[in-house]
Amino acid sequence: MTAANANAATSPIRSSLSSTTSAPLNAPSSHADFEQYLAKLTHGTPLSESEVQHLCNKARETLTLEANVQPVSAPVTVCGDIHGQWHDLMELYRIGGSTPDTNYLFMGDYVDRGYYSVETVSLLVCLKVRYPERIHILRGNHESRQITQVYGFYDECVRKYGSANVWKMFTDLFDYFPLTAVVENQIFCLHGGLSPSVDTLDHIRQLDRVQEVPHEGPMCDLLWSDPDDRQGWGISPRGAGFTFGQDVSEQYNQRNGLSLVARAHQLVMEGYNWSHNKNVVTIFSAPNYCYRCGNQAAIMEVGENDKSKPSFLQFDPAPRRGEPHVNRRTPDYFL
Amino acid sequence: MIDVDVTDTGTIIGNIKPHQFLEPPPILVPPEGGKIANGDDDNYYGMAMAVDNDNNDNIIDEAIDEEDALRTIEKLLGDDLPSRIEAATKLPMIAKALGPQRTREELLPFLSDSVDDEDEVLEEIASSLGKLIPFVGGKGHASVLLQPLELLLAVEENVVREKASTSAIAISQQMNDDDYQTKFIAMISRLATKEWSTARISACGLIPVAFSKMTNNPHMQLEHVTYFANLCRDDAPMVRRIASRNLGSLLNTVVVTIGPSSLSEGGLVWDILLNLYESLAGGDQPDSVRLHTTQNCVVLGQTMTLIKEQVLSSSSSNTSHEGGEALLRINMIVKRILPLIVATIDDRSWRVRWTAASKFASVVHAFSSLDGTMDALVSAYEKLLQDPEAEVRTAATFNLSEVAKTEAVVYPAGWTGVGGEGVGDVDSDSRRIPVALRLVKRVIQLTEDDSENVRVALAVVATNLAPVLGKDATIKTLLPAMLLLLRDSTSEVRLNIISSLSMLNEVIGAELLIESLLPAILDLAEDSKWRVRLAVIDRMPLLAKQLGTVIFSDRLLSLCVGWLGDDISSIREAAAKNLKELTALLGSEWAVQNLLPRVQEVMENQSYLRRMNAVQAMSLMATVMDESTAQWEILPVLLEMHCDPVPNVRFNVAKGLGLVGPLLNSSMYECQIVPILTLLIEDADPDVRYFAKQSIDLLTAFFESSNLD
Repeated sequence: MTAANANAATSPIRSSLSSTTSAPLNAPSSHADFEQYLAKLTHGTPLSESEVQHLCNKARETLTLEANVQPVSAPVTVCGDIHGQWHDLMELYRIGGSTPDTNYLFMGDYVDRGYYSVETVSLLVCLKVRYPERIHILRGNHESRQITQVYGFYDECVRKYGSANVWKMFTDLFDYFPLTAVVENQIFCLHGGLSPSVDTLDHIRQLDRVQEVPHEGPMCDLLWSDPDDRQGWGISPRGAGFTFGQDVSEQYNQRNGLSLVARAHQLVMEGYNWSHNKNVVTIFSAPNYCYRCGNQAAIMEVGENDKSKPSFLQFDPAPRRGEPHVNRRTPDYFL
Repeated sequence: MIDVDVTDTGTIIGNIKPHQFLEPPPILVPPEGGKIANGDDDNYYGMAMAVDNDNNDNIIDEAIDEEDALRTIEKLLGDDLPSRIEAATKLPMIAKALGPQRTREELLPFLSDSVDDEDEVLEEIASSLGKLIPFVGGKGHASVLLQPLELLLAVEENVVREKASTSAIAISQQMNDDDYQTKFIAMISRLATKEWSTARISACGLIPVAFSKMTNNPHMQLEHVTYFANLCRDDAPMVRRIASRNLGSLLNTVVVTIGPSSLSEGGLVWDILLNLYESLAGGDQPDSVRLHTTQNCVVLGQTMTLIKEQVLSSSSSNTSHEGGEALLRINMIVKRILPLIVATIDDRSWRVRWTAASKFASVVHAFSSLDGTMDALVSAYEKLLQDPEAEVRTAATFNLSEVAKTEAVVYPAGWTGVGGEGVGDVDSDSRRIPVALRLVKRVIQLTEDDSENVRVALAVVATNLAPVLGKDATIKTLLPAMLLLLRDSTSEVRLNIISSLSMLNEVIGAELLIESLLPAILDLAEDSKWRVRLAVIDRMPLLAKQLGTVIFSDRLLSLCVGWLGDDISSIREAAAKNLKELTALLGSEWAVQNLLPRVQEVMENQSYLRRMNAVQAMSLMATVMDESTAQWEILPVLLEMHCDPVPNVRFNVAKGLGLVGPLLNSSMYECQIVPILTLLIEDADPDVRYFAKQSIDLLTAFFESSNLD
């Protein structure tokens, strides 16, 4: 009994959350649906339209309860962009362990570019619904109505379901995804980066996140910004968000009592990349991005004891039958 | 929009106008629609395209009334592409509702007018037409369906034509003989001579099928083979390409339909078809035409083998003269064809050589029982193994063990003999050796190939040579090559060879294998690629069995436990399963002495993931132990872990108790397991509560039912 109590004491969010959700969680009938979905999705079979509807309704209930700055407790494995590379997400699970055994925090960009956005986002959302304590999914800049119409998720939904209904269900759900997370009050995790209009975590907590990603402003910046070698704030070449220098990261971490900003959003050839004197780390979890970049992917394991020393696991694309092996050397013009 | 009054059922069909192209679809609809799956890369989309597409086959059973039918036709006229496609799939239902007469007189002419619709719609119409026979008034009227099909057989899109061909063939099988001759064959004649090349392409595929029913009509047979010959000489390379693809099946049909007499001089095969073989393999053809030479020759070889067997089995009873004549013809035909095959491996186009390389096992098997071919073919194959293009060598290497399996014998490499007369000569025949023995010389060369893909392919197939070679030859010739591959610089090569070692093991025996391979395996156990490590773990129980307890404990045990601390989750899981296998194999006592202390160490690891895998390993090991060991050695350790600070470990304890519980007696269960699970069922973490509840439900049911027994 003491152990259970001790655990409850170290993670206040968890106990408060579980009190609100314990009733449905303990009802096996509600689990049965999602376990059945998971059986399909882990074999790469997409759900039917009505199943997606059911899943999204349930996911909205779960995600509404989460905060803009969702507290997450260690140990947890932090992952970056997936981009519809379902086979490589399966490889990620082979490397890092499966849900619920391993705790995960995904930092957005589940859809677009890869050929299996539908399968990928369905699986992650379904895991979130079934194991809300074991997996956290943040919002990336691609979890948006506008971006998905250009980069593939919309087309994929129409192709696989014959209409845009499923796209609408998922993009409506994306509005509820948390924007950021903090692991044990130390590691600030988000998709893009910092914003000149956000100084403190409380600032983020006050945002109304349930909306389409705006073209500008704090919510947009958090999902779009990139760290840069130059000091201070800069104009982002992406046309949204900003670039921020080491001074900005250091100041931000200090003011908020953080040790690290972990973010995704940028392709890094080794799968992870330290910057700003270890104030910022970029994690990218789509190996051989777009099936041609030749990059490694990585995930970051934050241990339960030594949180300031996370370890990284790198991995290559899952071998796939019938596909030629791509040369790992990327032509210079592509970078 | 088209004005349709659904209540006025009497005139609706007459009012239907062919579909006109309207405005482009709304901007958000992707231009390619659902068509992507038709391309060559359908493995990208194939899986996903299966969504909601499985209802097509039941559609006929679904009865609809006339009004629904008309509403569906209305959709066929609409400007929404998806609903036109859907309507096209429902043609059988529509026809059923309309009745045979109106289907024949109104629906089919309407469909004939619709052939300028989008390809996706035409595709569905084409396949629906094949299912309409029951609804046009039965087999007697089946021929009316050919009218729209004939138009579809001439459209631009190749998928539509293929569906139309399938439907046309299905319909023709049900036609009565008279209609078949006058309608179906006449249609093919028209297609074969049409101005549009697409119609002629369809004819290429239909002639070989139709020929099988042209029995006892030499005039018609000649006419159609002549059509086909003309298609093979068509101005359009596209047509020649498809004709080339179908040449083999035409030859087979001709020989099977007419019998051995077709082979003689003046027969269709010798006079026409072999000429076509030669001209389509000629250097003046584009490579896409020459590409089919290999497959066509395979079919020819198979057909000749078939005829030879027929002749041999019947010649004892009757007319052995005719039989001898036929065998002579077969020899002559093979002699004409052999140079064509040999030419493909020297072709200037690597695609042609690649095709030959990837089908060479079929070539060898097709010709293996035909005299005088093997020496030339095996030499040709050896040349493919040394092709300048790596892709060709890879494809050829994949065929290595299949080629080697042939029972034919050949002269050793480089043997020139005493001239061509040597065939049949006892002296020179005795010098022949099995093909495998000749090819194994190539294996060593291939282990040094520059291309890793070739070596990967070699590692897949090389061990399959062992059973063909036999023990002595394997040790002498194959084993050195295997050792080289085990030390290859590419991990995939090492992985493939490790995965296929059991074949080698069966042939040369464990002792020799271990002596020569153990050092290599120890190397691989720490390979940087986790899939290589995984393959090594999978071999461990086998090795334990073969090495015996002492050597295994000495050399491999610490590796096996060490994997429990691997960085990669899949390796840790495989390690846990492996410890279970080893426990089952070497006994509870061995496991307690050798495994338990080390697994317990892992349970104190800093990382929750390692501790969790140790819990899993413990539980799995317990399931193959005797009751008292499980109870006194495993259970206490497992129970202790229930107060781990990380919930993931705790719910794995709950799961583990569910596995261990059934091994114990019920009093042990009550006083040891129940209190802990009761505690976990009140845990702060919902997943711990869930898995504790699951285990307690499972165990309660188990002990209740065992009490009843």
